[in-house]
Amino acid sequence: MAAESKLAPIRKGLLEFLVLKIVGAKSVYVPDILRQLAGTEFTTQEGTLYPLLSKLRREDLVQYEWKESDAGPPRKYYQLTDTGRAQLAALDEYWNLINRTIANFGH
Amino acid sequence: MQRIATTVRLNRSVLQFDDAAHVRLEQYLAESASLLEGDPDPQEILADLEQAVADQCTRRMRPEQTVVTLAELEPALEEIGSVQAPGSATASPPAREATARTLQQVSQGAVISGVCLGLARYFRLDVTLLRVISVLLLLGTGGAMVLVYLGLMLLMPYAPLAAGGTPIRWLPAKCRAFMEFLRAKLGVDRPGKIAT
Repeated sequence: MAAESKLAPIRKGLLEFLVLKIVGAKSVYVPDILRQLAGTEFTTQEGTLYPLLSKLRREDLVQYEWKESDAGPPRKYYQLTDTGRAQLAALDEYWNLINRTIANFGH
Repeated sequence: MQRIATTVRLNRSVLQFDDAAHVRLEQYLAESASLLEGDPDPQEILADLEQAVADQCTRRMRPEQTVVTLAELEPALEEIGSVQAPGSATASPPAREATARTLQQVSQGAVISGVCLGLARYFRLDVTLLRVISVLLLLGTGGAMVLVYLGLMLLMPYAPLAAGGTPIRWLPAKCRAFMEFLRAKLGVDRPGKIAT
C-alpha cells in the first residue's frame, strides 16, 4: 500500500502522545503499556518503548519508581510529572484543534 | 553428557545461557548498543532491555528448565524487537542506505568476520574476487595476511544487522561477539565510522 509510507511517520509521532496519555491515566509499567497498545494501530515493542520512555524521562515529562512485584525482580512504574501533565493537556488540545481543522476542509 | 552454560547477569536477573543462545544474546545487545549510538543515556535503555530479555526468557522456560536456549531467546527477542530510537521517524530504511558509505564489517553472509564482505560493499567489488585475492595473499605472504585481517577486524566497526536479512553463520557471530568484547576491554568501544 503506497499510503503506508506516509502513515508510518504519523503513527510514530503520535506514539509519544499516546504513551503520555497512558502513563497519565494511571501509574503503569512497560508490559501494561504494551498490552494497552496491542491490537491498535500503535502496537509496539519494548525495543521501541524503552528508548522513548528514556527520552521522556530526560525531558522531565515522566518519572518512575521501583515497586516490588510478587514474582521476579522489582518493576519500574512510570507516571507523569507536572511538566508531563501540562504537556499532555497542551497536546490533547492541539490534537482536537487539528482534528477540527482537518474535518472542516475538503467539503 | 552435560551441556556447558554461561551465567549471565541481565540487570537484576541472573540466567544461564547455552552457547548458541549466549552468542545470540551478545549479538542482540551489541546491536542495540550500536543502534543507541548518539543517545544521551544508552546505559539506562540497555539495562531496561536486559531486564526485558531476562523476563521474557524466564516466562518461556519450563518450570524445571535451568538453561536458556535459542528456543526461548529467539521468540523473546522477536517480541522485544530491535531498538528504535525515538525521533528517528524520518530515518526510514531506504534513507539510511542512502547515507554516506561507511567502511564496516558485514556479519550477515560473512565467512570469517565480514572484512571481505565489508570491503566488497565499500569498493563495490565482487566479494568472491576479494576472497580469492585474500587467500592468494595469505599464501604469498606466508601467513602475514592473518595479521592484516586481524587488524582490519579490530579497526572496522560492524555494520548494524539488517532485520530479516541473511542469518549470521557461527564463526562470524563468534568473531563479532569477541571483537565487541575486546573493543570494550581496550576502550575502543566506539571507534567511530570511517566515513567517506
